[in-house]
Amino acid sequence: MRWLIAGLFFALAISLMIATAAIRAQNVAERRAIQKIYDAVQDRDKELLRLGFEGLESASPERLAQLHREWLERELERREESFR
Amino acid sequence: MKPGELLRVRVAFGALGAVPIFLAGWLGWLQVAQAGTVKRRSGEPLPLIAKTADRQGWRVETVPAPRGTVVDRNGFTLAADCATYEVRARITVPIKCRRDLTKFRPWVQRIVDGFALALVADPDTPNRAAVHKKQRARLAKVIAKAWSIDKLPETGKWPEKHSQVAEFLVSTGVDRLRVIDALRGYHMSDDYPTIVLDFLHSYRRVYPERELTHGIVGHINSFEIKQPKGGVRLQTYGMSGLESFKVLEPREGTTRRFLADGRRRPYFVAPVHDAIDVVQLHSTLDIELQRAAVRELTAMCEKGLRNNPKKKAKWGALVLIELQTGDVLASASWHRDSKYAEGSSFTPYQNRFEPGSIVKPLVLSYANEVGAINWDQTFDCSPRGGTYRERIRSLGRRVVDDHACGELSAHGILLNSSNIGAAYVGLELSREQWQDYMRAYGFGRSLGLNLPSESIGGNHPKSFDPKTPLRRFRRDSAISFSFGYELTTTALQVARAYTRMFQGLGAELRMVRGVEVDGDWHDVPVKQDTGPHYRPEVVDAVRQAMVDVVSNDPHATGHYLHAAMLKELNVDLHGIIGGKTGTAASSVGVGGGRKISARNASFVGFTPTENPRYLAVCVLQKDDSASFYGGSYAAPPAVKLLLQCQDLAERGQLRQERRSKLGGQTQLSPWRVAPSRAAPVGEGLRTPGSQGWSGPVGAGVPSETR
Repeated sequence: MRWLIAGLFFALAISLMIATAAIRAQNVAERRAIQKIYDAVQDRDKELLRLGFEGLESASPERLAQLHREWLERELERREESFR
Repeated sequence: MKPGELLRVRVAFGALGAVPIFLAGWLGWLQVAQAGTVKRRSGEPLPLIAKTADRQGWRVETVPAPRGTVVDRNGFTLAADCATYEVRARITVPIKCRRDLTKFRPWVQRIVDGFALALVADPDTPNRAAVHKKQRARLAKVIAKAWSIDKLPETGKWPEKHSQVAEFLVSTGVDRLRVIDALRGYHMSDDYPTIVLDFLHSYRRVYPERELTHGIVGHINSFEIKQPKGGVRLQTYGMSGLESFKVLEPREGTTRRFLADGRRRPYFVAPVHDAIDVVQLHSTLDIELQRAAVRELTAMCEKGLRNNPKKKAKWGALVLIELQTGDVLASASWHRDSKYAEGSSFTPYQNRFEPGSIVKPLVLSYANEVGAINWDQTFDCSPRGGTYRERIRSLGRRVVDDHACGELSAHGILLNSSNIGAAYVGLELSREQWQDYMRAYGFGRSLGLNLPSESIGGNHPKSFDPKTPLRRFRRDSAISFSFGYELTTTALQVARAYTRMFQGLGAELRMVRGVEVDGDWHDVPVKQDTGPHYRPEVVDAVRQAMVDVVSNDPHATGHYLHAAMLKELNVDLHGIIGGKTGTAASSVGVGGGRKISARNASFVGFTPTENPRYLAVCVLQKDDSASFYGGSYAAPPAVKLLLQCQDLAERGQLRQERRSKLGGQTQLSPWRVAPSRAAPVGEGLRTPGSQGWSGPVGAGVPSETR
């Protein structure tokens, strides 16, 4: 009986050791995945800020007026073409 | 149990029991018997303990603090920090290249090509092909230098003493997602396992309305200047404008800790230690009025003199002030010969000029206040009259008016802009009173706005020299001061002088309403209504005269302006805009002891006429002696700006509220935005990317939010 108990305790110790190592490894793997997500969020945050400021610049009255003027010129050319 | 079995069991358990004893002994040996320190390269001792071993895995990334945000009086962002990456590479030569150097150079070329392509991975990159070519050339040069490739043999094995590791800057200001993704693809990839890329946090300064705010908001950047003989030179103009303010100097950043595994791959531990609170500087500018000021000034200057685009003014300045607060609402600068606005002086406070007749209201109000003249008394302003001979010619001085004037009251002197009349008034003031006049109006004194490279101007150094005989002072200085000569000033100084006349002699201009630091509002106090005040009847008399200057009275110097605006805008300015025109001919130093003759056209205007609230000053200088009048060239931009200002004010878009919460497109922290501090939806403009950001911005924002 005592041999059985001793064997079970030994198996338990080995299992605990393996489980601990596995959990720690899983922890690192999860943290590594979080780090990747964190980096991706950082990257997108920078992209978002850039797009925000670019949007602000492209929506300035001067820029919109320029775009409108270009559009009108193209429309004029198109109508002249169709008239001919 | 048989004796043999018992022996085996004892041996087995004895062996098992020996393991912990061995481990305990080993621990004791390492931690006690062998415990000690080794010296680092810096000479500091490194304790050989378990904590040291743990620390080997810890990494810290630094997150720098941004400079801060500059917003206009309505919360519109004028300058902000855009978070970017600075990408650095640390590359070790792989073993196959070390064994066979013929493989090394093609391998390097593949890295150069790969990085150069990655840096233009975004198809929306402006001038993509040119940028790619430029980056490719730069990276080839940088990598060749990092590995000292020119010292490596073409074939054979890697020399033992030659460094195998190259560290270099891949790029700064990386903020395009596709570029970031492309670069991350190289980091310890299967194809390039020896490439380690570090993405360091950095900022790029952005100015959403750059063309409108070069001088006043300023800049901190360097610019590439193409040289006449070819090549490019990097010119750093240094900080100017609001950017030079100390409160915008980057503060201490923060850090983020993470761990690295055995292959140096980072893994997450925690976000940034402390969120960085962005400083927000609330300027007094109004971007819509700034836009109008730049547009009006540019239109007038580009149109050229007498509508001839080949004859343009040398420079121009236009400023708009709110009299009740001294707030500078708009401040525009224009240069004829400048290709780079960043490198040009900002004319409203850096270019001096002789103000000419726009000082006459200041002179007459001062003389009236100190009792040197009676507003109702009349002066014989005829150059052939006895008074002229007796008081001016007898001093040996000649003064002329551009049209014949007879008997004029103080009101008439301003209306006709009579130099002779102004000289009579000036001669009534003593030398000490003239000194007091300069002091009272702030001529020759800094604006106190802490703006770098401000031109101070002032009177001639010998004007008040005690050794100068009084007769000579009266002949030269007193008469010249009366109509704005022997004195240089800037457009903003003129604006301050008028603000003092209307609001008290302690009044100052203000360019910053307040600063938010760590969520606390630090107010910049208004200094209007401080110091001695002129009597109301004195200010009213001058104000009324200036209202009549802009009328259809044929003697009024503003009658041309009145007629032009009636024709162009169908607006009768009389009673809407008050003002004073000025024209001065003077010599201006151009360096090397050379002087050129220049003419200044200037105008000071205000609205509403009954209770002046907004004041505009416009100055144009040209570098020849052809006729050039304030009423024709300086007045129209100022008047149009005042009309737009009045229009905005009537629509309720010129509001100035103290902001207790952060507004504008400012990000609190690109890494951790505290929800409680973010501006609620519907209040001001948003952080790019935040909820509501896709809503209208700038001019399209409804009046309730502007």
